[in-house]
Amino acid sequence: MNILTIALRNSRKKWVRTLLLLLVFTLGVVSIVSLNFVSRVVGEGLEKKLVSFGANILVSPISEKLTVSYGGFALGDMLFDVNYLDERDTIARIDAIALRKNISVIAPKLVVMDRVQGMAVAIVGVRFAQEKQLKSYWDVAQGALPGEEPAPAKKAGGGMHAASTPASAHTPPPTPAPTPAPIPAETSPTGLAQAAMAPLGLPKDTYSGNGVLVGSAAAAKLNLKLGDKVPLGKTHMLVTGILAPTGSEDDNVLLADLTFVQNAVGRTGKANFLEVAALCSGCPIEDIVNQLGAALPNVEIKTLRNIVEQRMYSVHFVKRLILSVSLVILLTGCSMVGISMLSAVNERKKEIGILRSLGFSRRAVFSIFFAEAASIGLLAGVVGYLAGFAVSFRILQVLELSEGATLSFEPLHLLATAVILALLTSLASLVPAWKAAAIEPSEALVTL
Amino acid sequence: MNTAATAAPDLGAAMNASIDQAPILHAVDVTKSFTQDGTPTQALKGVSLSVAPGEFVSIVGRSGSGKSTFLSVLSTLLRPDSGQLTYNGFDLTTASEADIDGLRHRDFAVIFQFHYLLPYLTALENTLLPFMRGLKPVSRAQKERARECLERVGLADKGHRLPGQLSGGEQQRVAIARALVKDAQILFADEPTGSLDSATGSTVMELLSQIHKDGLSVVMVTHNEQYASLSDRVVRMADGLVV
Repeated sequence: MNILTIALRNSRKKWVRTLLLLLVFTLGVVSIVSLNFVSRVVGEGLEKKLVSFGANILVSPISEKLTVSYGGFALGDMLFDVNYLDERDTIARIDAIALRKNISVIAPKLVVMDRVQGMAVAIVGVRFAQEKQLKSYWDVAQGALPGEEPAPAKKAGGGMHAASTPASAHTPPPTPAPTPAPIPAETSPTGLAQAAMAPLGLPKDTYSGNGVLVGSAAAAKLNLKLGDKVPLGKTHMLVTGILAPTGSEDDNVLLADLTFVQNAVGRTGKANFLEVAALCSGCPIEDIVNQLGAALPNVEIKTLRNIVEQRMYSVHFVKRLILSVSLVILLTGCSMVGISMLSAVNERKKEIGILRSLGFSRRAVFSIFFAEAASIGLLAGVVGYLAGFAVSFRILQVLELSEGATLSFEPLHLLATAVILALLTSLASLVPAWKAAAIEPSEALVTL
Repeated sequence: MNTAATAAPDLGAAMNASIDQAPILHAVDVTKSFTQDGTPTQALKGVSLSVAPGEFVSIVGRSGSGKSTFLSVLSTLLRPDSGQLTYNGFDLTTASEADIDGLRHRDFAVIFQFHYLLPYLTALENTLLPFMRGLKPVSRAQKERARECLERVGLADKGHRLPGQLSGGEQQRVAIARALVKDAQILFADEPTGSLDSATGSTVMELLSQIHKDGLSVVMVTHNEQYASLSDRVVRMADGLVV
């Protein structure tokens, strides 16, 4: 028993008031903490994407799109005339721009839909050599990339690693595609690898077999294993590798050689879009986009960075908005503490007088009111932080917003939150506590 | 015991019936005025009193005579406008607030007409209140002392009860136990039986007499002549003066 007993016992006696104050502050803390967690994780996920994207530019044909909705029922987007880019011509034009030296990778893609084991799935035709450069975060969990030998053992850490598994030992070697060979390199006006597909200095992509790399989620959903056959048009592909989860769209698709896919679906030399990675250090992205625009009229050129930045802006906007609301809640809580304490001072005038008559100093009386407010803040900080953590965990789980980033519990943050809240409520109680300390014992007790 | 209280403003008069021992508390020519509804009212018009160690002094008078104001000045709950107040030779009129707080904590004990117990603390905790001034926890010895005090006022088995679970007389006895717990030198009692029935009032007065017999100086304000007669000396006040 000490002076804090007086503060805590009074809080317990006035439990309804204490509970209400606690509730208001806890709500404020929950919203701030969960908002902070969610926005941080989402932001980290987007940053991760942003980093992995580099300064990528998306080159795609202009398509007319119509969003169809009738009677409040959304029917989705309708595309008129899906346009395709001529892979070779587009790359040649990109290769010809003045800032060509700033472009590190050009990765064309053709996306087709097919049914595998009765389920619709996207099959993306890619140039694996370029894709490897673009997606350094890829990690092949089982088998290997089409055209590559499985690695003897999986290395620690992220990045592009292939892991050998027992299954891979039984994987039949993918057969070369019975389709036309890739565009010969000598036909490229620029001499780029894979018939002008890979920019200068990049390894040539000579693979054009029927091997397919399956995204982690797609493999689980379609129950695909190494060596499984996957139909595509009138031919089939062979699973050579399964990606480890990446947190990107790659988890849900099947990735096959572009030439193979083009030929299998009768779109030889066509691509839906091209991803262009510009060298990012001081890269004049806007200039590159302008030059690409000039070189590729009637083609849409978007910087993925801008898209991600727009999403980040939205995240930050929502964060600021909720932060403002949370601050209003906390300010309301502080006002409630202040008003409640002020009325408590008037109610407890005689109590203060008794304490003063027993030799309690002004500072001691001040401490009692201060401690009462601080204890509410401290408790609200701890409960609010834990609840906020649980809420944000649930939000990220339900809305699948983590984008590959993870939520981590920080005991130091818990401590800091509790201390900050205790300080905040103590500050709110400054005036009432000062008023209580100023009460003269005679004023409270003496009947004149 | 000689009557040392007088309305005369001179120190000599206050001390003229000089007691055998040096006074523990000594008030000389104390004045105090208040402003009520814009009108100044002089509650004390120059009152002097000396209290010897171990003396039981009753201050009696009608309502508005200034007796409670005088007790508040003596117990340092009010500062006088003028005059001198000393405790064991220490001038309380010029003492710092910290010194006054220390005095109230160590040497002075006050009980009021209304018990003024903290409603959310048990009888034992209320008794221990003087030891709860800081962060230092109450010691085992202090708890033991509080139990002894409760036993002395006949509430040994009710230490765990909250004030709301005690009768008026019991609450006043807890207030007395709280006054006793710190081994004060002087007890100020402002109408301690004022809110009690006669039977309970008598019990409380018996208790105060016993405490006085144990050597504690007591200054009590009352308008009950019967209770006043239990004291060593009766000081009568009227219209802000000792008569």
